[in-house]
This record gives sequence, structure tokens and C-alpha cells, in this order.
Amino acid sequence: MKQALVDDTEDVSLDFGNEEELAFRKAKIRHPVATFFHLFFRVSAIVTYVGCDWFSKSFVGCFVTVLLLLSFDFWSVKNVTGRLMVGLRWWNQIDEDGKSHWIFEARKVSPDMVAATEAEARVFWLGLIVCPMIWIVFFFSSLFSLKLKWLALVIAGISLQAANLYGYVLCKMGSESNISKVTASFLSQTVFQTAYFPRQQRRK
Amino acid sequence: MAEAVESPGDPGTTTPRPLMRDLKAVGKKFMHVLYPRKSNTLLRDWDLWGPLILCVTLALMLQRGSVDSEKDGGPQFAEVFVIVWFGAVTITLNSKLLGGNISFFQSLCVLGYCILPLTMAMLVCRLVLLAEPGPVNFMVRLFVVIIMFAWSIVASTAFLADSQPPNRKALAVYPVFLFYFVISWMILTFTPQ
Repeated sequence: MKQALVDDTEDVSLDFGNEEELAFRKAKIRHPVATFFHLFFRVSAIVTYVGCDWFSKSFVGCFVTVLLLLSFDFWSVKNVTGRLMVGLRWWNQIDEDGKSHWIFEARKVSPDMVAATEAEARVFWLGLIVCPMIWIVFFFSSLFSLKLKWLALVIAGISLQAANLYGYVLCKMGSESNISKVTASFLSQTVFQTAYFPRQQRRK
Repeated sequence: MAEAVESPGDPGTTTPRPLMRDLKAVGKKFMHVLYPRKSNTLLRDWDLWGPLILCVTLALMLQRGSVDSEKDGGPQFAEVFVIVWFGAVTITLNSKLLGGNISFFQSLCVLGYCILPLTMAMLVCRLVLLAEPGPVNFMVRLFVVIIMFAWSIVASTAFLADSQPPNRKALAVYPVFLFYFVISWMILTFTPQ
């Protein structure tokens, strides 16, 4: 969110540069394709799971389709949309001695590099947080309605989506080890921006 | 997923990871399973896409076609999934508890990829089952499944045995044996009704 604040002032001061770059900086959503796909796979997986009985009677077809969509979503969110939309990435690395390290990185904001836009960041985090919660609801609904054959799929869905959420939260936290502090600062910054800079949001 | 070629620092945080690189890595691992030899690089660059593909393929092939659309092989499909993934996780936990120095996901990766020979055996069995049933049919399938089972065991122990201290190797390898045995059993006893 701090990156977005810096971005607002940079729009004014660094006004030279070619037309394309200018349009790029001023755009509300800089990576429309990535934004679209970030949400597309997750929402399609949920829609397919819910609408299974209407689309086709085949359990297997539905299972495989939802699983494929979840896998595409996992790969694209981890490797593409996180990097383009919010400049975060995480991965696992195994060094020479065979020890495994999980590495979380956040993009450093510099004057000549474009920071993430607020709209993109909002879409990113919203998509990342809401969907695993929906899958958890599915978990309980399939457990209590005793449709246990779907449980394997729901558990797979929860694991894949929660993995991305967890990875990106750890990236965002960076050196900050206290998650409640991070949540509090995130919320206060969002409230601050909406309360004190409503005009600028409309101007974008 | 492990990315041996990624290194900390920009500009990785702004450029998306290329898809072809991941696809090629999966293909390379399949080749390593087919021609198993001790290779450290395979273990370091783990991913779970191969096991997922193999699991789905195996589960699809292990389906019984049924006239009644209500019982369209649903439980059997999910069953295969649960057996494979739960079995792999259990073996991994077992090897970690025995003091192995392989990471959780690396072990899952190796076990998953080594299902490839058994998936090929399944394919062959399905083709053989198109011919007339009989003892010859069964003998052919038994022979193929035994060969592929041995291949899976050899491929996986080539990677996994090294990570265990020498006096624990048998303890770590025998669950792998059981795991592939269960899968081979499912393949051998499969009859499309």
C-alpha cells in the first residue's frame, strides 16, 4: 500500500518519458490479462464445482475439470500474477547439501520501476483470500451432507489455494514476523487512503 | 515448486516464470524415471506436476465403465487418488521419522514420478484386455505388471535409498515396496465390466 502512495506523487514529478510509458503508469490496471486470469481460473473452478450437477452427470469429468482448473490457477498465481500484479514471489530451493529452503521475496520499489497499482493489489489479495474461504465452506458442506466422494477434490482445492495464500502472505510480511501488526497496518492504510484521498482515486 | 535456476533478487519479482521451462523440467524427470541413474539434479529440482498427471491418468484408466450413470465409477476414481497421495505422504513421513535427510516434497516427487512404469503397465493391460479373456491373457498381464513393478522399485530406490543411514535402508524401502505392490494389485485385478 505504501508503494501506491509513492506512485501517486511520482505520476506528477516524473512526467517525461514516452507516451506509452506514461499511459502505462497512469493506467488503473497495468496488466489486464494477468488480472483476468488471476480470477478466471479460481472462479471457474468454484463455478464448475457448484454447477456440476447441471453441466454433466459425470463425476469423473467434473473432478478432472475442477482439478485441472485448480492446477492452472496454482501455477499462474504463483508464477505469473503474483509477480506482475504485486511484485512478490516465493519458491523452494534445495542447496548442495540437500537442505531445503523456502524463499520469499518482495520487489524493491525504485524511482525508475513502476510500482503496483492499488486496484491490481486489491484484486489480487481479494481473489487470494476469498477463494480458499469458499473452498473451506465446500469442505464442511460435503462433509455434513455426506457426499464424501467430493472430499478428496475439496481437500485438494483447499491445499492448493491455501498454499498460494500462505506463500504470498509470508512474502508480504517479509521481515515482519508479527502477523497481527501487519494486518493492523494494512487495514489502517486502506482506511487512511479511502478517507483522505477519495479525489485521487476518482482521477485515476 | 523447486526452482534451481531462480536466484534471490530482482528482476525475478517483476517477470513471470516461463511455462516452457517447467514443462521441460517435467519431461526431463519422466526420462530420468525411464532410465534411472543416480542424479542429484533431479532430486533438487522437484515438482509435483508429474505425479498429478500420472495419478489422474491412472485413475481414469482404472475406471469401470458402468451402464448405470448414477454409479459411474465415482468412488473408484477418488479411491485411486486417496491411495496414491495418502500412501505417498505416509511413506514420506515414515522416511523422515527414520531420520532421512530428504525433504517432504522431494520424496513425494520421487514416489509420484516412479508411478510412471505402472501407468504404462496399466495402459498395456487395458489393451491386452481387449483381446479374449483366458489364462494366457492373465499371464501376459501378470508378466507386464511384475516387470513394471520391479522397474518402479528400482527407480525409486535409486533416488531414495541414498538419503537414509545405511542400517535403516531396508526399513525405509519396504513401505515403498508395499505402496507399489498395492498399485500393481489394483492394476492386475482390474476388469472392465
